[in-house]
Amino acid sequence: MALLLQLTINGLIAGSIYALVASGFSLIYGTNRFMHFAHGISVVVAGYIIYTLFTLLGINFFLSFLLTLILSGLFGFLMFRLAYLPLQNRKASNVILLMASIAILILFQNLVQAIFGADVKSLRYLEVGKGLSFFSAVITPLQIVIILTAFVLMICLYLFMKKTKLGRDMRAVADNKELASIVGINDRKISDYSFIIGSILAGIAGILISLEQNLGPAMGTSLIIKGFTGAVIGGINFVPGSIFGSYLLGFAENYGIWFLPSGYKDAIAFVLLFIFLLFRPNGLFGLNWGLR
Amino acid sequence: MISPYIIHLLILIGIYIILSVSLNLILGYTGLLNLGHIALFGIGAYASALLTMNGVPFVISFILAGLIAGVFGFLLVLATRKLKGDYYALATLGFGFVVYSLFLNLTGLTRGPLGIPGIPKPDLFGLIIKSNFSYLIFVFFIALIVVFVIYKIVKSPFGKLLEAMRDDEVGLRVLGKDTRKLKYKTMMISAFFAGIAGSLFAHYISFIDPSSFYISELIFVFTIVIVGGIASIKGSIIAPFVIVLIPETLRFLALPSSIIGPARQIIYALILLLILMYRPRGLFGRIDLE
Repeated sequence: MALLLQLTINGLIAGSIYALVASGFSLIYGTNRFMHFAHGISVVVAGYIIYTLFTLLGINFFLSFLLTLILSGLFGFLMFRLAYLPLQNRKASNVILLMASIAILILFQNLVQAIFGADVKSLRYLEVGKGLSFFSAVITPLQIVIILTAFVLMICLYLFMKKTKLGRDMRAVADNKELASIVGINDRKISDYSFIIGSILAGIAGILISLEQNLGPAMGTSLIIKGFTGAVIGGINFVPGSIFGSYLLGFAENYGIWFLPSGYKDAIAFVLLFIFLLFRPNGLFGLNWGLR
Repeated sequence: MISPYIIHLLILIGIYIILSVSLNLILGYTGLLNLGHIALFGIGAYASALLTMNGVPFVISFILAGLIAGVFGFLLVLATRKLKGDYYALATLGFGFVVYSLFLNLTGLTRGPLGIPGIPKPDLFGLIIKSNFSYLIFVFFIALIVVFVIYKIVKSPFGKLLEAMRDDEVGLRVLGKDTRKLKYKTMMISAFFAGIAGSLFAHYISFIDPSSFYISELIFVFTIVIVGGIASIKGSIIAPFVIVLIPETLRFLALPSSIIGPARQIIYALILLLILMYRPRGLFGRIDLE
């Protein structure tokens, strides 16, 4: 029983991180209709930005936090404007954009490694602290912060998408791009904003990871696979669906350890990804664009 | 005589020629963005290494490496036959990750992250290829055969069908051609050659581990094919020379060794990105990738 509870908590923590990655990825995919695989590196870059500002330069934590969010948004914006937009203007297909995106991921991963080295970094802001016992399962205060932050952000994102003009425009573009442009929604602007907001969400994920775990340059690939898998499970073009899918993945990975050696944790995500892409590419709740 | 360093590079170039020509067959001529190609290469490498180390003669395990990779190519098409475009690409990437995590986790078979050391040099009916120079001749002999076979395929009526399928699949089906069968055949041929390239790689380097078959290596092979040009055999033969030799110039810059590895990856990723943005046809490409 204790084990079950512990696995549930671990699943919730993993799911929270994946959900932050997946929601940004889905937001970008929904409004732009190509797979921004380099989203994973936005998480890593944000982690290293706050590491530089806070640990290396000794700037106040909250100022570093704020600056990291701004720089993350800028990073996403620049990726869109400098790489994707010229490709889109040249009428490059989704497949080309995907390859460009993988190239961007590898480019920045190695840039980070060349600058900071391959060894892992940690922020050392909060002491990881002694775990609180919670019905014989252990959870650290920081992990509670992660779960709550993700939860609050998801609610904010939901309200933003439902209640604000910009959010409604984004959903309109995701639902039907042509129709949205007919009613006068500027889809270039929507693309800009989706990259900025999506990358800020990735930035928050990066900060939380750097607070709780170690930061390494190669994390981006595995994170985007997890976020992407979560998004595919729930519905890649539907933000609430991809959040749900991410938590599902977090649980599936951690409960999977009941049956499989822990080395297979990553393989669970790959297998789920493969199965969903083959049999249900629109996910559990995704909008059907008839893409396949 | 040629220095050992040049011989080493030429052997790698020979192996990459096989790998990129076989990738170009599926990517350029058939129009399928197979991101699992490097996994098929890895399957060939592991199959050949494990078979020879368990007493199977090299010649047989060399062929079997190709055949086993071919079987996986068949399974890959079977699984992805309904997908198109970026969904297809991602499913094949997913396949690549599944294979990678199997290399990593089937420790009883592959020794996981420790890798397989001490893979013997090829033994061709009692003639053991010991020196690197003879290995170079062997690799280029195989590469020549592979290029010849693939050249014949793409120039044949079968090759014309493949290009027709790439340009207009529905149109070809209207004409009564079974495009699904074409996909199976091409993928199996492409996978077979990726598998024997893997075997050549394993027996040359004599040590393999899962990291040789991961996403960064994928970028490397795609850079070669895209730089050489889509649907251009000539491009896929010339580009490996260019792409392998460019980062070698870094050696003369006296960079610390911790920088050289990432710098090489940065160069490849940058080349790929810039080619996609400014010259999508590469050096000798005949069509734009769609």
